[in-house]
Amino acid sequence: MNYPVWYLPETGGGFLIALIAVLHVFVSHFAVGGGLYLIYAEKKGLRENSPAILEFVKKHARFFLLLTMVFGSITGVGIWFIIALVNPAATSLLIHNFVFGWAAEWVFFLVEITAAFVYFYTFGRMDSATHIKVGWVYFISAWMSLLLINGIIGVMLTPGLWAENMDFWQGFFNPSFWPSLFFRTFIAVMIAACYGYFSASFVADVAVRDSMTRFSAKWALVTLALMIPSAIWYISVLPVAAHTMVMGKSPTIAGMMPWGLVGILGLLVIMLGAGIYRPRFNSKPVAVLSLFCALAVMGSFEWIREAARRPYVINEVMYSNGILKSDIERLNSEGYLRQALWVENKELTGDNMLQAGEELFINQCYACHTIGGINNDIVAASKNMSFRVLTKYINTIHERRYFMPPFVGTDREAKALATYIAGGLLGKETIAAPLEMNTLAAARVLFEDNCSSCHGIEDLSPAFESLSHKEITAMFPVLDEISDEMEPFSGTAEEVKLLADYLHSLNNPVAPTGVSGAILFEDHCSSCHDLQEMVDIVDGQGSEELILLLGTLNDISDEMEPFSGSATEQEILAGFLESANKGDQ
Amino acid sequence: MENIIIPQADVIPVAWGWFQALLLLTFPIHLLAMNAMLGGLAIGIVQHLRGGTVEKKLAHRIAVALPLVIAFVVNFGVAPYLFLQVIYGQFLYSSSVLMGTFWILIIPILIIGYYGAYLYDFKFNSLGIFGPFIAIIVFCLLLVIGFFFSNNMLLMSLPERFTDYFSQKNGTMLVYDNVTFWPRYLHMMCGALAVGGLFVGVLGRFRKAADIELADHCERLGLNVFLVFTLVNVGLGLWYLFSLPHSQLMLFMGGNIGATALLVVALFTVIGALVMAFKRKFWLSFFLGVTLVVFMTFLRSWLRTDYLSDYFSLDQLQLVPQYSPFIFFLVTLVAGIICIAWLVKKSADAFSTP
Repeated sequence: MNYPVWYLPETGGGFLIALIAVLHVFVSHFAVGGGLYLIYAEKKGLRENSPAILEFVKKHARFFLLLTMVFGSITGVGIWFIIALVNPAATSLLIHNFVFGWAAEWVFFLVEITAAFVYFYTFGRMDSATHIKVGWVYFISAWMSLLLINGIIGVMLTPGLWAENMDFWQGFFNPSFWPSLFFRTFIAVMIAACYGYFSASFVADVAVRDSMTRFSAKWALVTLALMIPSAIWYISVLPVAAHTMVMGKSPTIAGMMPWGLVGILGLLVIMLGAGIYRPRFNSKPVAVLSLFCALAVMGSFEWIREAARRPYVINEVMYSNGILKSDIERLNSEGYLRQALWVENKELTGDNMLQAGEELFINQCYACHTIGGINNDIVAASKNMSFRVLTKYINTIHERRYFMPPFVGTDREAKALATYIAGGLLGKETIAAPLEMNTLAAARVLFEDNCSSCHGIEDLSPAFESLSHKEITAMFPVLDEISDEMEPFSGTAEEVKLLADYLHSLNNPVAPTGVSGAILFEDHCSSCHDLQEMVDIVDGQGSEELILLLGTLNDISDEMEPFSGSATEQEILAGFLESANKGDQ
Repeated sequence: MENIIIPQADVIPVAWGWFQALLLLTFPIHLLAMNAMLGGLAIGIVQHLRGGTVEKKLAHRIAVALPLVIAFVVNFGVAPYLFLQVIYGQFLYSSSVLMGTFWILIIPILIIGYYGAYLYDFKFNSLGIFGPFIAIIVFCLLLVIGFFFSNNMLLMSLPERFTDYFSQKNGTMLVYDNVTFWPRYLHMMCGALAVGGLFVGVLGRFRKAADIELADHCERLGLNVFLVFTLVNVGLGLWYLFSLPHSQLMLFMGGNIGATALLVVALFTVIGALVMAFKRKFWLSFFLGVTLVVFMTFLRSWLRTDYLSDYFSLDQLQLVPQYSPFIFFLVTLVAGIICIAWLVKKSADAFSTP
């Protein structure tokens, strides 16, 4: 809200960050681990007095230089550019707080590139001992760059006390600093070993190829093994919410985890089979496959790390859409649009709901959702929802799905957003259709309006257990006789009947009506499922089974909670699904 | 003022003067490296196309140096860009978003240009006629990057243009229609060509012991290029100066004693540099040329401060002191310089050993 939004509705900024970041980290970790690999590969060549191995190291150093200096360093600048474009507020906050961490990283970057050039251009010209020392200067400065960036990006996931006091050192040495540093160091060397394995596949001399293949495979396997305890340590220090999401609550993470596991398994198979056991199996296609496996491991790790901090971009401080957590209360009471800088519709009038809704979408939803794009398409995500359900959903979005930031603004602003999504994007009616007055759902609204301030359904249910519908109806005009605190119910005759229906149904479930079941479905299920899909899912299940199913939805998926309506509503919804299923058949 | 949108700035950890000093210290280094890259490459292309033994040798020397220079241009760009974000972030982030599509294009363009430079270096002999062709493409790509940078640096100084965002949310705003844009851009690029001459002279000096003919050629050519393009750039500079809005122009015309004095000193430096170049005094020309670049960055900073003076001044930045990370950075910087000195020495030893 403090900065303009670079709005590419079909692309989405998140996609661009992911694209640049995953490719960058894959090369930048190689730039770190590769330093160590080069030193020990050169030492091996010297120890074995093998000019062929030294020639391999020199060629590998050239490949290393071309990849890390050009692609690695420029995409590093690219990440900086893209995060400032996609989330300038978060970038600004981090830059201002950690400016000297970044400045120190710049110094190490300078030493790193100088050492890389000296290492490559003096290969064979410098005495070996000094050349190895240059290699160490390179590796240490590259690793220090990793250490510094690790501290800064770690704070985005596990801010610890920094979230409260913004102290540089407390933020830098955040709770995940050490496990993340170990994990990243091992993954960096593992990736470097894969690149070494790849380079070895190009060597014509069979003896050298076998020797360097086995050498690389050993490095890959050892670091792969060391990654596992550090990953467990890493996960153990995550805050509860992030931990829960990593363990399966987040659909993004659940979708990404298999890629990482496949990558690890692939690497194990390749490095053991075509590395240690039969190095001769190392060929260009196998080596490329190993790089893809390493990319899958690295990419899924980064993706999971990014997803784990949702709904925040900086955990507990700033939401993904750049809104500070500390501003929520004020914005909810004063209105988002009035406080946002880069919006044209500062006030909601009857005429600008659509335009204001679009601006709210751009400012609050676009950080994660595209329109018709491949990444979190809002049209696909909301296609089953009506305007009424969307409005309700928007107001409870964070409670329903933790990984989404809460909607920030007034109720009218929520309606404006719902108007834009339902009307502007989905082409649906944007007037909340009045509830059919013969439905239980409408009766429930009456109950909430007139009774719920003092009574809960659970309290009243036993009291009405032995009363007939007629007896309940007869109570309404004389409520003041039951208690001085109550007044006679003043609704219309139709409302009296509806409320009596509702209270009677608490102990006498009525036959489910199509309309009320449909509304319950819309309210509780439609944000993720369409009716046909549900009909297919519940095919062959009877009402009793469905009631049980609705009460244990969390057993089916971590993303779902057990049905949150009353027991009666649960029965009605189950009946609705059963009847829809029969109708379908 | 009513329709001006300026984001809220974040707090800074040390007094703004430190950041301003670090910005003014690091930006000229980036600029000099950029000039060496762009100007050096242009000279290399012309030499390569012209043919002749010594010309081709020089083109090859430049081709070998180019990837290294690009690496340092990028590296020395990181530091000023960082410090600029700290003190002018609210303007820079906004302008970057407004031209986001072009801004992010810098990255793929630079990657292609950088790989082109390596190709030109590693395959200099085998590429034949394609060599200069590739070098020209790289040069054009670098000019495009400069064009985008000039747009952003100007746009961040023009918050009155920020409301154009509402009709262009896809990040495609550029400000080359601003009356100061073209003289500003051309002044920068022409300056790069001039300083590129000095860079070529230095390249020759490094090779003096091994190849006296090449060194003489480099020095003669470098000084000629510096002389001619500096003269042209004086004209462009005057065009730029008089294209400035009246209040900014007056800043250098007595409105502000410091700014005016600095401009006068810079003009004397230009004259001195031209005379020295004419007299073939290489190191004096070099020293005055470098000094001139430093002065120009100071003038540029002064101008930006004045552009934004209606909306913002650096003393408005809120300070929440945290000095220990700053000390950590300074210690790191000293250690880094020692390391680099060691690396350079060892490298020089290695190359001096037959």
